[in-house]
Amino acid sequence: MAYKPSKRKSKGAEELEPNLTPVMNLMVVLIPLLLSSAQFIKIGVIDLNLPPAIGSEIAGRSRPKESEKKLDLAITITQQGFYVSSSISMFRGLDRNEPSISNHEDGSFDFNKLSSVLFDIKKRAIDKFIDDDKIIIQAEPDVNYQILISTMDAARSYDVDGKIYSLFPDVSLAAGVI
Amino acid sequence: MAFIPSKRKKHNTNPGKVKLNLTSMMDMFTIILVFLLKTYSTEGMLIQPSEYLTLPKSNIENSPEVALDLVVSKEWVMVNHEPVVKTEQIASSAEYIIHTLREKLSIYAREAKRMEEMYGTKFSGKVTIQGDKTIPYNILVKVMATCGNSGYPNMRLVVYRQGE
Repeated sequence: MAYKPSKRKSKGAEELEPNLTPVMNLMVVLIPLLLSSAQFIKIGVIDLNLPPAIGSEIAGRSRPKESEKKLDLAITITQQGFYVSSSISMFRGLDRNEPSISNHEDGSFDFNKLSSVLFDIKKRAIDKFIDDDKIIIQAEPDVNYQILISTMDAARSYDVDGKIYSLFPDVSLAAGVI
Repeated sequence: MAFIPSKRKKHNTNPGKVKLNLTSMMDMFTIILVFLLKTYSTEGMLIQPSEYLTLPKSNIENSPEVALDLVVSKEWVMVNHEPVVKTEQIASSAEYIIHTLREKLSIYAREAKRMEEMYGTKFSGKVTIQGDKTIPYNILVKVMATCGNSGYPNMRLVVYRQGE
């Protein structure tokens, strides 16, 4: 007679631990590879234009036509605040001699107000002037580099309710007083 | 009577294999892997920030390119990592152009122009300025004026990208 399958209970197979060796292989190769190409600090560059007076030969070639109107927006950074001037308006502070946008109480610069003032000017100047995306920044001799960069940031774009408006991305630095 | 389990401690002659429990290490590796995948970038470090200074922060989006390296740290001004002039000297000088810096840059400009004639690689006149975030404005303007004067009118300022 044929063999009957034995009714004896056979011992259940032992539970196998998942074999982690191949996964470890993968990790040991991938992680150093990615670590060497990881960028923890991102570097950016800001493009600048030279002040036209000391510029190279290119600056002298194009002369503006007399009939075109220029905005000539300029910001002056002083230790007390910002002075904003353009051919549309001289934005004055409360007092004739006070800066257009004064600093906060503790001395820190008010970049938000600067952005909103520039946004205003941009709204009024857009498409009316040929240089409506240029801005000239000058500063007192002892103003910090970081303040200058933050001013350029504030002048480059303005964030209103999640929409980002581009203000004046074309920045030139002017020499100012030594 | 039934057999009572012996109370004598048995000597373990066969120590058996000790298994290394790798699951927790694998968990950690997975998390590290995911993090590194997120910071993976194919650009590489085209510009090495100098260790003598702290760059300012900005929310600009542009990426750097290869150009002549000019570093303005708190103590020295360096071109291609060779010190050229002390920063304090610039602050105290009354004129716009810094002569030692100008000579150095002119040498580089001449080299690049010669390369252009020999090999055809165009001289772009780009210079990458890395400045410490506390340098005052007048030093920056003088350095920029000197660059423009010695044949490098395209200037780019290097910053840390802050993101918004």
